[in-house]
Amino acid sequence: MKQKPRVAVFDFADCEGCELEIADLEEEILDLIEIVDIVSFREVMKEHSDNYDIAIVEGSIMRPIDEQRLRKIRSHAKVLVALGACATIGGINKIRNQWMPDEVMKEVYGNANVKGNELFNVNKTKAVNEVVPVDYYIHGCPIDRDEFKHVITSIALGKKPEIPRYPVCVECKKNENICQFELGNFCLGPITRAGCKAICPTNNSPCEGCRGLIKKAETECVKEVLERYKLSYEDIRRRCTMYNYGREECGVDE
Amino acid sequence: MKKIQSMSKKDFTSFVNTLIASKTYDVVGVKAKGERFVYDTLDTADDLRLDFDVTIIPPKKYFLPQYEQMMKFSLEKPFDVHPTFDDQPRVIIGVHPYDIIALQQSDAVYLDDQKDDFYKKRRQNTILIACDIQKVSERSFAASMKTNIVEDGFDLLVTNIGNTYTITIGTEKGKKLLEKYGKTKDATTEEIKKIKQVRDTLASKYKQKVKIDKKEWPEYLVANYQNAIWEEHADKCMECSSCTMVCPTCYCYDVRDLVSLNMKDGQRLRTWDGCMLKEFTKVGSGEVFRDDTKERYRHRFFRKGNYLPQRYGFVACVGCGRCGIACLPNIADPCDLMNELAHFGKEEETGRYFIKQKTTVVEKGIIHVPRSATIRKIQHLSDTDTFFELELDDKKPLGHDPGQFVEVSVFGIGEAPFGVSSPPTDTPLFEIMVRRIGNVTTKLIGMKPGDKVGIRGPLGTGFNMKSFEGKNLIFCSGGTGMVPMRSVINYVVDKKHRDKYKNITILYGAKRPKEIVFMPDVDNWKKVHDLQCEVTVDKCEPTECWGGCVGLVTTLFPKVRMDKFDSKNTIAIVIGPPVMYKFVIQCLKTMGITDDNIYVSLERRMKCGVGKCGHCQINGIYTCKEGPVFNYQQIKQLPEAFE
Repeated sequence: MKQKPRVAVFDFADCEGCELEIADLEEEILDLIEIVDIVSFREVMKEHSDNYDIAIVEGSIMRPIDEQRLRKIRSHAKVLVALGACATIGGINKIRNQWMPDEVMKEVYGNANVKGNELFNVNKTKAVNEVVPVDYYIHGCPIDRDEFKHVITSIALGKKPEIPRYPVCVECKKNENICQFELGNFCLGPITRAGCKAICPTNNSPCEGCRGLIKKAETECVKEVLERYKLSYEDIRRRCTMYNYGREECGVDE
Repeated sequence: MKKIQSMSKKDFTSFVNTLIASKTYDVVGVKAKGERFVYDTLDTADDLRLDFDVTIIPPKKYFLPQYEQMMKFSLEKPFDVHPTFDDQPRVIIGVHPYDIIALQQSDAVYLDDQKDDFYKKRRQNTILIACDIQKVSERSFAASMKTNIVEDGFDLLVTNIGNTYTITIGTEKGKKLLEKYGKTKDATTEEIKKIKQVRDTLASKYKQKVKIDKKEWPEYLVANYQNAIWEEHADKCMECSSCTMVCPTCYCYDVRDLVSLNMKDGQRLRTWDGCMLKEFTKVGSGEVFRDDTKERYRHRFFRKGNYLPQRYGFVACVGCGRCGIACLPNIADPCDLMNELAHFGKEEETGRYFIKQKTTVVEKGIIHVPRSATIRKIQHLSDTDTFFELELDDKKPLGHDPGQFVEVSVFGIGEAPFGVSSPPTDTPLFEIMVRRIGNVTTKLIGMKPGDKVGIRGPLGTGFNMKSFEGKNLIFCSGGTGMVPMRSVINYVVDKKHRDKYKNITILYGAKRPKEIVFMPDVDNWKKVHDLQCEVTVDKCEPTECWGGCVGLVTTLFPKVRMDKFDSKNTIAIVIGPPVMYKFVIQCLKTMGITDDNIYVSLERRMKCGVGKCGHCQINGIYTCKEGPVFNYQQIKQLPEAFE
């Protein structure tokens, strides 16, 4: 029998919620361990091995020591998967990129003496692909379990996963939702990558853009919509801060 | 004259409740969702809101669901595929006239000569209880489209005439349902008169009006294909395809294979797709055929107002106004767009972007379900190109014409179109060539003889070889264009057929020597005395072994032995990458070959292969149905063909 691919799950700066989504597969976790050998997964097991084929990396990269650790992971892994918004786009952790690292340190630790301690040596927050090449992305905050399954089975089958590059509106319309704009809310769905089954607007909460932007925030069409709904570029910039700080001008990048 | 009954409102409520209680049907009706309305299963008649204006999405979701499983397959067995049909009997209560008309339109598409079995089953299992509109939706312009009332297409039609409902019997099926579950009496003359009054009063309440009669939509659109308004509006377009999602006459879909986490089984699923999305026309090689937002924006209106009218005779907009509500920058409403076009001219000749052609029904059985085939031979031609011999397991010949294609399924991965590279035979064997570009091709290349794949086809319109008899033939191919071309060439050079054709010239250009596909065939053709075969490569590194011509395929034209043939009696067949056509066709024209004697084969995203999913459209035609082989004289009129 062909050897099962060995999988290791790692976390950096994050809430571990996306890992929890994997652990939450419940009985399907038995299917998962049928098709892969999980050799390291701190959240659910004690064992650890550096011998793996697929590294699933959760979290944003904040410090030089994290970069070193990530590079080591990359060198061990044949395939590297970025898991969740912190890893795929930097996510919430990028909010702090509004300030310089030393300002942040001062704000948080005041006059405590942390100088020279590498645990407290921080850079600007980076997404995983700003440090090492990423093969596959599982977007979202948290990830969608079905998409996780799709990516894992695709890797196992040797196919490139089909991840949408169209906006959340497509899935939102399929779910027969009343448009958030119609309800007087400001939703990032029209410029955010789909794949989440429009879970937020379907549950009556506007999209926050956790799966990354697929359109630059400053385009003719966005301006048109902002104007029609009496919003400004400043509004959209502020809204993007939560998950997409510094990415308003990126558009789709992978 | 249809039979009309009447029913008190109280009796109607108990009719609906009895239907629900019978548990025979999934009883669907219009329910409130916040300030808007949706179709949903009814638990009680109290939830039914026949006073609705318009639902968020149309009832098409019951016939072409947002996500529909088409088949289940096993990954453990070599070939184990089972189509999955929805057998649920259903009654839908509260379908407005415009949505009834929209359904009749999708019937024209989905129940045409190549019936979509999934759709058909759902349609047969459903009883439609239409209702006359009681409240006009603010964005609706149904009165202008004459879709605010309907004469047929329903099983029953409910009209609120004040204190009572009248029920117009549309079909025997509707009549039986009413007899079994409801209590009615014949409508009085007075009541029947009221129906017209109700309808007339309502028709006067439409604020949105289209200035151009729907008969003239094709004329205004054709005249304004190049108008600047497409770009002006497209600049504001979010490319979210909300307009197509909520549209009752948009029926394009995408197909995906999903595999369970146990890797033992999976499903093939179709889901709504939208022509406003950039990836809609993207093929395996990465090319996007409607790359510009302007082109996609224009395509949506042309499909509704020109292409489908050419094909089926109806304007595919029913004036429901849903797209106008859904569009954030407010550029999707056909009423606004047509009223803008009213300021410009119109043109009588409306068929310019369409080719009227009889297409053959090529696929029998359930059109979307592949039959099994076994890989017999695999030969790796180069790093990227692999040759496959396949055998249909039903042992029947494929029965294709040169130029036709097949859809090859690798379950779990997906399905992709391939030109057949072998000539027609009496055996179940046929050949394809696979170039590594995407998921399906990569997986195929890794497969072994004895492995199973799924085959649909032959599909599309190929070359009519009979019509070329008695003529000289020039074959001009570039790159993988040689794949389908080989099928044509080996057909005419076959001893059985060679006498029927006069002089044969083969011109073939590949990028690099190693990318020449079918070298053994090329060598054979070169050896044959009664034909001329010239090969060139675009580029050749000193390290590569190549003694032939270097240059684009057009550099071969001066070598053609002109003395051998009369250009008036010559057919040219051109197959190659999109950029090649313009230059090659110019060369052919210089030689005196007329446009009607030139044939081309075009590549597009042929997903369903049977003229349903919409991805392969070149203006008004389906590449998978009217093509991929086209007469140049006809296809050159379509601006999207060679852009």
